[in-house]
Amino acid sequence: MAQAVRAGRRGRAGMPQVVSRGGLLSFLVVLGLWALATGPLDLVGPARFPSPADFWQSGVQIVTRGYAGGTLLTQVWHSLRLVLFGFVVASATGVGLGLLMGLSPRAEKLINPTFLLLRPIPPLAWIPLAILWFGLGDAAKIFVIWYAAFVPSVINTLTGVRGVDRTILSAAEVHGASRSQLVRDVVIPAALPMIFTGLRLSLQACWTTLVAAELVGAFFGIGRVLMTASQDVNPGMILFAMVCVAILGAGTTWLLGTLERRAMPWRQA
Amino acid sequence: MISPSTATSGPDIAFRKVSKVYGNAEGGFVALDKVDLTVSRHEFVAIVGPSGCGKTTLMRMAAGLDFPTSGDVLVRDRQVEGPGPDRAVVFQQFALMPWKTVRDNIGFGLKCRGAAPSEIKQVTDRYITMMRLQGHESAFPHQLSGGMQQRVAIARSYAVDPDVLLMDEPFGALDAQTRLVMQEELVQLSRVNPRTVVFITHSVEEAVFLADRIVVMGRNPGRIVEIIDVKSLRLSERWDELPIEEVMDLESFTHMRTRVWKLLKDTKRSTAA
Ligand SMILES: Nc1ncnc2c1ncn2[C@@H]1O[C@H](COP(=O)(O)OP(=O)(O)OP(=O)(O)O)[C@@H](O)[C@H]1O
Ligand SMILES: [Mg+2]
Repeated sequence: MAQAVRAGRRGRAGMPQVVSRGGLLSFLVVLGLWALATGPLDLVGPARFPSPADFWQSGVQIVTRGYAGGTLLTQVWHSLRLVLFGFVVASATGVGLGLLMGLSPRAEKLINPTFLLLRPIPPLAWIPLAILWFGLGDAAKIFVIWYAAFVPSVINTLTGVRGVDRTILSAAEVHGASRSQLVRDVVIPAALPMIFTGLRLSLQACWTTLVAAELVGAFFGIGRVLMTASQDVNPGMILFAMVCVAILGAGTTWLLGTLERRAMPWRQA
Repeated sequence: MISPSTATSGPDIAFRKVSKVYGNAEGGFVALDKVDLTVSRHEFVAIVGPSGCGKTTLMRMAAGLDFPTSGDVLVRDRQVEGPGPDRAVVFQQFALMPWKTVRDNIGFGLKCRGAAPSEIKQVTDRYITMMRLQGHESAFPHQLSGGMQQRVAIARSYAVDPDVLLMDEPFGALDAQTRLVMQEELVQLSRVNPRTVVFITHSVEEAVFLADRIVVMGRNPGRIVEIIDVKSLRLSERWDELPIEEVMDLESFTHMRTRVWKLLKDTKRSTAA
């Protein structure tokens, strides 16, 4: 366990070593089983689960000729843009509100009751209302993504601010820190690990919510591809779109992780 | 170096009938019970006493981080209302900022005061050398040993050059040798730049070597048992002219040490009963 963590953190030069040798091996085994089950062994029919060949053909089709109204690049870019936009806006507002509530008991008293009331509503439950308000276009999706990512950002930032070490705050105070210096030099850095925990949860929520929202109704995007492929009974395309979501989710999470390490150099080594 | 106003020697810190009760009024725990203590300007007062007798509480009140349930805490005749630039604290738990390097931790107070970067650099360089932290300027606290962290915490407080230095077991995490060096350094520093020091320690030897007066505290409730004058002995026996290890061998020193030890032992016995 400890060794796995160490192996994952190593590889400073160049790309980080994400996959260990054992991990790669088990991945290859799954691929092999897949090929066998859908091919020579014929355990799963092509209408239920695609063979590697179907998968490949769907990939070629959407990349070259397009599917559900656009090529892969168009569809992916459309979804990615919404997620990034929703995530950035949600993080900024969420971390901001979390800091405000953590720093000002008055603000917390004022806002927290409303927040606690809205918080249990699952993001997906907002989709119908969002469509009524904003239609099937991007605005509705951005709203739902924003809500989904906003909640964990607020909660974790607030928790982080509340958990600041009192003694360090006192130490900063007796050495002359003003209120704004306390916030900048103590509260924010101390809360940063929790803030990033919140951001990671937010990012996850963004992708979940986006795909669900696009499944309900969209003109473009990876969810639209999934929905269309389902209606066309095209398992190859369904699986291909799912893999795309997985790669996008992992990629954006990796980017956030890189940002996190940059933001907190003291947590290294 | 010494401004005219510091020539007067009125009390720098005064605790007047200070009590501290934790919890509510009925079932409260009396951490301090009517403590009276004055510390003169440029005096070095050491506080010794069993764990939990309220040493840290007393110091936090002088720092303005805690307030008495009853009684008054005065610094230069003014009621303490909060932390101020005239007082710096070395905390028992170091309380370094994990996200700042050694240099930035030491320079923090100066930065807060809006000192110029060149001045911050110059002052931090001086204390990095004094605390033997060369080569670790860019390290983060968790990369240092406990003793090194403690030296960073001490340097951080020295760097703001406060009138009043409040030190809570500042040498507790140091090895015996470094401890001796730090004790001598502190004496040296007080000579070059006299200031008022309140110094909490569990080491009786340290208290006898450093202090002008030793405050012996007892617990349940936290109170002052006795205040011992060491300064007159130090001056008459000329401890200041000898290196620390020789002072600790002098008969006058060991006598004083034994006296404080006995007092401490008695307070423990009386609280156990
Ligand atoms: N915030 C608090 N709430 C309740 N009780 C407290 C609080 N702070 C301190 N106490 C109690 O007050 C008493 C004195 O604490 P203090 O930290 O001043 O002791 P101390 O003399 O510094 O001990 P040590 O030598 O172990 O550092 C202790 O019994 C402690 O349990
Ligand atoms: Mg203490």
